[in-house]
Amino acid sequence: MSNSTDIIRAGLKKRYAREKRFRFFGIVSLLISFAFLLVLLFTIVNKGWPAFQQTYVKLDVELSEDLLKVNKDSDEDALYSANYSKVVKKSLQKMFPGVKGRKQKRALKNIVSNSAAYDIRDKVIENPDLLGTTQSYWFLAKDDIDVFMKGKIDRHLPEDERRIKDYQFVWIDKLIEEDRLEKRFNTVLFSNGDSREPEQSGLKGAIMGSLYTMLVTLLLSFPIAVAAAAYLEEFAPQNNKWVDMIEININNLAAVPSIVFGLLGLAIYINYFGVPRSTPLIGGLVLTLMTLPTIIIASRAAIKSVPPSIKEAAVGLGASKVQVLFQHTLPLAMPGILTGTIIGMAQALGETAPLLMIGMVAFVAEVPNGILDPATVMPVQIYLWSDSPERAFTERTSAAIMVLLAFLVAMNLIAILLRKKFERRW
Amino acid sequence: MSDILNTVPGMPSADSLERSEVKPENHRSEFDVEINGTVGKPFVDNAKMSSRNCNVFYGDKQAIFDVDLDIGNNEILAMIGPSGCGKSTYLRVLNRMNDTIPICRVEGEHTLDGEDIYGKKTDPVLLRARVGMVFQKPNPFPKSIYDNVAYGARLHGLASNRSELDDLVEASLIKAGLFKEVKDDLQKPGTGLSGGQQQRLCIARAIAVDPEVILMDEPTSALDPIATATIEELMDELKSKYTIAIVTHSMQQAARVSQRTAYFHLGKLVEVNETDKVFTNPEHQLTENYITGRFG
Amino acid sequence: MEIGQHISQRYNEELEQIRNKVLQMGGLVESQTKKAIKALLDHDQDLAKDVATSDQSVNQMEVDIDEECTRVIARRQPTASDLRLVIAVVKVITDLERIGDEAEKIARYSKKLAKNPNVVDTHSELSHMSQLVLSILHDSLDAFARLDAEGAVEILGRDEKINKELDKLSRLLLTYMMEDPRHIKNALRVSWCARSLERIGDHAQNICEYVIYLVKGKDVRHTSLEHIRSKYFPHDIDVSES
Repeated sequence: MSNSTDIIRAGLKKRYAREKRFRFFGIVSLLISFAFLLVLLFTIVNKGWPAFQQTYVKLDVELSEDLLKVNKDSDEDALYSANYSKVVKKSLQKMFPGVKGRKQKRALKNIVSNSAAYDIRDKVIENPDLLGTTQSYWFLAKDDIDVFMKGKIDRHLPEDERRIKDYQFVWIDKLIEEDRLEKRFNTVLFSNGDSREPEQSGLKGAIMGSLYTMLVTLLLSFPIAVAAAAYLEEFAPQNNKWVDMIEININNLAAVPSIVFGLLGLAIYINYFGVPRSTPLIGGLVLTLMTLPTIIIASRAAIKSVPPSIKEAAVGLGASKVQVLFQHTLPLAMPGILTGTIIGMAQALGETAPLLMIGMVAFVAEVPNGILDPATVMPVQIYLWSDSPERAFTERTSAAIMVLLAFLVAMNLIAILLRKKFERRW
Repeated sequence: MSDILNTVPGMPSADSLERSEVKPENHRSEFDVEINGTVGKPFVDNAKMSSRNCNVFYGDKQAIFDVDLDIGNNEILAMIGPSGCGKSTYLRVLNRMNDTIPICRVEGEHTLDGEDIYGKKTDPVLLRARVGMVFQKPNPFPKSIYDNVAYGARLHGLASNRSELDDLVEASLIKAGLFKEVKDDLQKPGTGLSGGQQQRLCIARAIAVDPEVILMDEPTSALDPIATATIEELMDELKSKYTIAIVTHSMQQAARVSQRTAYFHLGKLVEVNETDKVFTNPEHQLTENYITGRFG
Repeated sequence: MEIGQHISQRYNEELEQIRNKVLQMGGLVESQTKKAIKALLDHDQDLAKDVATSDQSVNQMEVDIDEECTRVIARRQPTASDLRLVIAVVKVITDLERIGDEAEKIARYSKKLAKNPNVVDTHSELSHMSQLVLSILHDSLDAFARLDAEGAVEILGRDEKINKELDKLSRLLLTYMMEDPRHIKNALRVSWCARSLERIGDHAQNICEYVIYLVKGKDVRHTSLEHIRSKYFPHDIDVSES
């Protein structure tokens, strides 16, 4: 055995120890990040899960023509403007006859959400024959009742420390006894726009706003970024100082704080071009600026990784540069480009800061119907809800975060699937 | 060598004085022999392609120096030489593949059937359809075998309908000696074939465009000996219809397939001769050193 | 012409070994020829026996060298000068082996001639002829050893003299035979020896041709001497041209 074998053998133990140490550190850091992720997910899910359920109250409503001052033959305007909340109040009073005093009367009325009146209105307009009859309807319960039903209010606390007083508990207990309180899946969360009343607020406006904004961003940034990347990789003169400068600037743009893009959007798009503020259009324009560098960099890497032998083969057969680009380079680079695009889009989906500057951080109750309607986006909605004082908004905030995360996961999944699909072509 | 003979001691001629000024610049080892032009027969009567005073530059660096060479009709010309000797670069001059490299500059007169291939009237796309190329690494497109072969024909609109294209693909695959092996798998990916089959697919793809000249850049360097033999046999068959120029690192291959052999050294064309002569009795000392394995 | 300087050191050694073996074989054949001639001229029976037995080792050498050449061709695929060296060696050893055979024949006849010497007195003619043959053989082997094409081309044409000597000797033997038919047997033996000597000269000349082939890459067999000289050795005519 030679001398060097001995030396190597002597060092082996140390080397293996180092390797083990390194592996240990790797596993530990993985575990730590995993733990953080779990804690985060757990708190969010734990907090947000109840928001997917909503308490409903069943009331027997007498649709008295006298009380509403309308009859079956009244025109729609009259039916529309009738005071339906009176009917609701009446039915509650009927159920709990002994209620006295202003405060208690108001509390009694606040068992149901004020959307109950609108529900009755819609039903009556749809079928005026209901007038004069007594019907049983399920209505949204007010947020306090909802919170209590989800077990978030401890009735053993001193009375002045809780939102629900003792006399209210009597009502609630009676309602539960009569099976008039029920928790159902919260469809409101997905069918309503934002609202000041927690039980009536939903994510639909934010989701649609996000979708429109993403659509604008995708339609603008994908073609521009791919074209830019293709030009820089395949056509731009090499070792040209202008091209080098453009490259450096694109790389720098990717690192610019996103709020700067918001300022840019405000200054250029809104003040100079007069694009309407608070709309998905302006949001998409600003987010395009932000995502462009990401997609360009990813696309360039993807284009660069296309084997030159394929391009050479095509050129050798007499294909022109553009033919090579569209027939070979781009299809082969597509998985990488798509991944980059979706990562960029996901980043844009979660962005709030640049939208601050262009008026998308605002209370918008209407669900937008196009890219020119005022809208807000999901992260902004989360921000707004987290700022609201009502107890019921806390869980809705977490629920919104879950929905946003679901969207992000779905997008990443799409990225993986697209990648697989394009790569599997051989 | 000749200056040693010419120089009479004590009486340096003007000629040798000139040379002695050049010499100190580079130390010459035992095998460094002056290359003064090309020896042998670089010119033929029935030239298909020819180059005169070919100089190629990559930026400031000159890659090829004053190459004069003819490629005869229906012959296989082999180009051999050590790595970096410019043989591949020269091959790529012949179908203007160097155009894709921005810093590359080609000088001299290059003709295909007497037409200047670097002339203003010549379109590189048309030229590459006439002068096909097969590369070192088999590089089928990630498409089906059929689409691979049909690619060039579609690109140039050589077939007017589907059945014509089918016939063309079949004929090309037959010529490339691949049809029997793949006739039932035409829609399967070309990248799924073995290395030798892939290279024959690339040859089929090149001949589907019906070129006049086929340039091969080390076509078998990535293949095993059996696949190599198949390709060499194929070249021999193709010779009757096409003119072939092949760059190869394998001297045995050059000896086996070619009619004439050109030896490049440091960007210069040292010797061109019949292959038989080059491999039994080369004229130039450098050629001899290279093919007998005497390079330091 | 250089044998060495290959990148593969082993290849150098193989070629060098082949060449050395050929030279060794040449030396053996030359000494055998010398011995045979001595036995013929001195009527030395023992020497003649010695030559007849040592032919075996020449044959063995031929087989060995042949094998080695085959091995080099198979494994190294020699080209150009290396290829010519191997081919020339294969041919040279064939001629050497034939020279060995001729020497053996001479030895065999001289054994019989030694039994009744001086019946036919051709000593001076044979001696003269032997000198010529030996010098050609020696020079050929020398040219091969030094890969000296110029030397080899000098040797070409020297066999003219040997042929003349052979004619002279044949005429002499004819007179002996006509003088007395009892001399015919011995005269024929002498004639066969002379014939063998002439063959040795021819084989030696062949070796020279292979040397020219080896160095110049030209097959000069069946070519007139003037043509060879003017075409491949222009120095002899005009030194300044190269």
